[in-house]
Amino acid sequence: MVDLIYTVVSLIVIVPLALFLGVIYSYLLRKLSARFQWRVGPMFRMYGDLKPLLGTTRLLQPLYDILKLYGKETVVPDVSRRRLFVYSPYLSLIFAVAAIFFIPFPGMPLLSGVPYSLIIASYLLIASILFTILGPVASGSPWAAIGARREVELFLVSELGFVLSVFAVAIARQSLVIWDISSGGQSVYFALLTVTAGALMLVAMLGKLHIKPFDMPEAEAEIVAGPYTEYSGKLLGTYYLTKVFLLYGLVALFISLFLPPIATDVLWLPLYIVAAVVLVFLLTAVQVLNPRYRIRNAINWYLKVAIPLGVLNFVIALAIWLVV
Amino acid sequence: MKFGSTPDIAEYVRKEIYPDGLEYVLLRENRVVVKVNPGDLAKVAELFVKKFEARLIHATAVDLELKGFEVLHIYDFSKLKDRLVVVVKALVDKDSPEFPSIANITWQATWAEREMKELLGVKPSGMPDPRHQFLPHEWPNPVESGSIPEGYKFDGSSTTKEMYLPLRMPIEEAYQTLIPIGPYHPGVIEGQIVYVKVEGEQVVAADIKTGFHHRGIMRLIEQRGYNKGAFIAERVCGICSAAHGLAYITCTENLYEAEVPDRALYIRTLLVELNRMHSHLLWVGVVADVIGWKTGFMLTWGLRERVMDIIEAITGNRVNYGIWRMGGVSRDVPQELAEKAKRTVDDLKEECAKLLMLVADHPVVKSRLIGVGPLTKAQAYDGGAVGPVARASNWKIDVRADNPPHAIYDPKVISWEVITDDHCDTFGRTLVRVKELLVSCGIVSQCLEYLAKTTGEVRIKPKTVPLGAEAVGLNEAPRGELAYYIRASDKDSSLPHTIRIRTPSYRNNAIIPLMLVGSNLADVPVVMGSTDQCLACTDRLEIINERDGSRKSLTWDQLVNLSRRVSRW
Amino acid sequence: MSTEIKILKQVLSKYSKPMTLTYPSAVAPERRYSQIPEGLRGIPERDKDKCIGCRACYFVCSGRATSIYDKDAKRTVEIFLFRCTFCAHCQEACPEEAIKMTNKFEIAVPNREDPAARVLTELDLLKCKNCGTPYATRKLADRTYERLMEKIDPIVKETVSSDYKKLDGYCPDCRRAYGVDLDTHTKKYVWLEGV
Repeated sequence: MVDLIYTVVSLIVIVPLALFLGVIYSYLLRKLSARFQWRVGPMFRMYGDLKPLLGTTRLLQPLYDILKLYGKETVVPDVSRRRLFVYSPYLSLIFAVAAIFFIPFPGMPLLSGVPYSLIIASYLLIASILFTILGPVASGSPWAAIGARREVELFLVSELGFVLSVFAVAIARQSLVIWDISSGGQSVYFALLTVTAGALMLVAMLGKLHIKPFDMPEAEAEIVAGPYTEYSGKLLGTYYLTKVFLLYGLVALFISLFLPPIATDVLWLPLYIVAAVVLVFLLTAVQVLNPRYRIRNAINWYLKVAIPLGVLNFVIALAIWLVV
Repeated sequence: MKFGSTPDIAEYVRKEIYPDGLEYVLLRENRVVVKVNPGDLAKVAELFVKKFEARLIHATAVDLELKGFEVLHIYDFSKLKDRLVVVVKALVDKDSPEFPSIANITWQATWAEREMKELLGVKPSGMPDPRHQFLPHEWPNPVESGSIPEGYKFDGSSTTKEMYLPLRMPIEEAYQTLIPIGPYHPGVIEGQIVYVKVEGEQVVAADIKTGFHHRGIMRLIEQRGYNKGAFIAERVCGICSAAHGLAYITCTENLYEAEVPDRALYIRTLLVELNRMHSHLLWVGVVADVIGWKTGFMLTWGLRERVMDIIEAITGNRVNYGIWRMGGVSRDVPQELAEKAKRTVDDLKEECAKLLMLVADHPVVKSRLIGVGPLTKAQAYDGGAVGPVARASNWKIDVRADNPPHAIYDPKVISWEVITDDHCDTFGRTLVRVKELLVSCGIVSQCLEYLAKTTGEVRIKPKTVPLGAEAVGLNEAPRGELAYYIRASDKDSSLPHTIRIRTPSYRNNAIIPLMLVGSNLADVPVVMGSTDQCLACTDRLEIINERDGSRKSLTWDQLVNLSRRVSRW
Repeated sequence: MSTEIKILKQVLSKYSKPMTLTYPSAVAPERRYSQIPEGLRGIPERDKDKCIGCRACYFVCSGRATSIYDKDAKRTVEIFLFRCTFCAHCQEACPEEAIKMTNKFEIAVPNREDPAARVLTELDLLKCKNCGTPYATRKLADRTYERLMEKIDPIVKETVSSDYKKLDGYCPDCRRAYGVDLDTHTKKYVWLEGV
């Protein structure tokens, strides 16, 4: 009974906490890439004479950008299929938040002990991205059609990498429950699997989070804004909110699957934050150093990289399962 | 230092090149004017282009009020004889201004003839592409109450038959597969429409429409005079403003027998080369941004800031320099400034070399740029490419070597070289521009060394322009060859009668549809960026279609009548 | 991969110093800002004591920014800064060197009619002794006399000088109207040789 109340309370608490952490990761992405480009970025310490106007820091700048969008006019094109167009951002957000319920946070196991929680979390993430494709297709703009087409192709290949790495870990740990995977012990075999499967998962994350060189669905120099071309105001704000939750969700999933037992106990919280920051730093470094691939080259690259690594992961996982 | 004219070059033209002309006149600096009958224009074009392999610089027409129109074709013969430019003129009647079109003979004249027809209403007969150049394609009909009719309507009357839709497609097919890139698009900096017909991600056909930046510059200079015209001419384009300034001033100085002090020529060369450096750094940043690499954009523009600081210290402004005066320049470069700038430029050369070689070695950059937008040498020659676009197709043309505006560009005075590359695609153009940037650093360094060591005057008083003089001024802008033609008035020696500007982007934009066919949709902005478009340079003519502030639009004949000149005073 | 590592190293070597420079603020002027070069082409300023109201700057202005209008007995010379191209033609053309180009560059105002966007100089005009219409400034008349005396043919110098002193203070229309009465009409020069 106490467990049930605790779970319900933690489900309510995780939503603003995930939002806050996602915004912090987003801020770090922007600040680090600005520093790599000799720019200043959103400010951590404010200049003296701007303090009365803006406060002492701009740490929550990504959140302010989203809130600004909620205050702007929303335009729905005439030629779009109106219901699908309007409901898609909200459905995408709901599925992303639902996926977060299944990923543990230090001190809050949430729903990650539910049987088959790994598969449920993966499907919810897929569903969230699916509505990022369906909404733009319903908008009726040729730019959105091209962007959605690219998103579909990219999504297929990056999902391949994601599945291969996640299920290799599941096989090695002999469990499909995230809580059991993330509270399992460590050994030298698991460490080896962590390295290879973690690398593949990172590569898959680049595709899901639209980090360069894989952000061609949103290529602004070529197809205006890609899938988000006809979106404005509240709907665009909801899509950006979904992206924030997705960033938090994937980083948390990575830590809970590949760096056990950091995501389980509240005493691991400082190490959790450090691991998250290091991960975001790696993603920023890759984003800053690369231009954007064409979709054809991206698919080729993914297939060249994902399939061999995936096969290697499966081999190691099977070996661990048989030996241990 | 000026080169001066080779003696007897008019005789050479008469004997060797074209003996049937009516009159041969020598202008300053090896430009020869040949007057012919209007019916012979096609024959002359065939002879010049096919036999002597001359390049067409520009084709235009001048309104001579009661005498009629004078059709001008300007050819570049610098490969045949040193620095020879031949201007072929023909006088056509005002009431029936017909003459044979040369667009069938050389593709380089297509845009020029469309513009001539639109500006003055002359009628080149046999034009293969009689569409409007700057006005909207669908416009000949009178427009009711200031609103454009919905959709594209054809009513079959004689004027509308000539105006085709882009790519000559029926309307239903056009709406289904045509993607308009523009007029507002984040991938292109200025307003234009590039219509691409796509199947999936493959481009099947393309067309370009310009005319959104029309400002009436040529008419403004005709109203204001030579001195003030320098400030208008340098505002044709913000990025290449020094090239326009130099071409304009050299052209006006060719109208009278000008002697300009050497120090002023060094300062002018210095500024034009600094302009080239900042333009090429800007271009590398823009291409990096278009392929998605914001970091490359920021880094190259960070280096560009140092170039802008040098320019600001020398001329007082970063973009429009305002030092062009007839007879010299208005400001001198003090010696300690020249030394400091030379040190900065030498450091900058090393940093640019390091950074840009890294940019050219990046594997993802290479996969985006190699094989994109191919242009063979034959296509470049037929289409009339100029500048780095032509040089990357292994065609060695450079105005600074062929038709230099002043003798400082002689390799005996300042050592530099023309860069060519044989990749024939966007990657080749990148390499050409990067290497040209480093060559320009060398030229700037040598000029600053000269300026730091010597002193002298920088400006002498100009003489009056003789009535009725003409001159052609050529210069190498960062984008290619820039040509000015000025004809002085017959009555007033402080105003020009006609000024015609032919910018390099005019030529390179016409070739974009050729390069786009067969490429990926993701490569369309890359190809457009690789020609280093400057739409502000492309549209600079005048069209009037408002009057007295009331929104009344005009028919074609009314517009043509208004564009023609009425006699002044 | 190695190219990317090289770029990363080159970028990281400067990452702690952004290239952004801050605008000099009135509240915190010690913040970094690049030196404003002395030769920066800023707005022109006119010295009121030296200007004679000759309108040379109006004729050479490239952007048609200078305009001169007379109202009551005052001549206002105005430079509308929104049209100025800072070309320094007015500085070169001014015979009294009254205009100097400064290096001030902050001329943004929210309203086109704001007088801060204009450089105004007001000069007093002389009124005609006879009909009362204002015609020129005192200094313009004096300068014209000096210039005339420098360049005139010595044969007629005396006569012209005395005529000028007689006509001083009359507007051009009255000078023409009373030329015969005051014996300043140019018909008296006809008999001079070499004129």
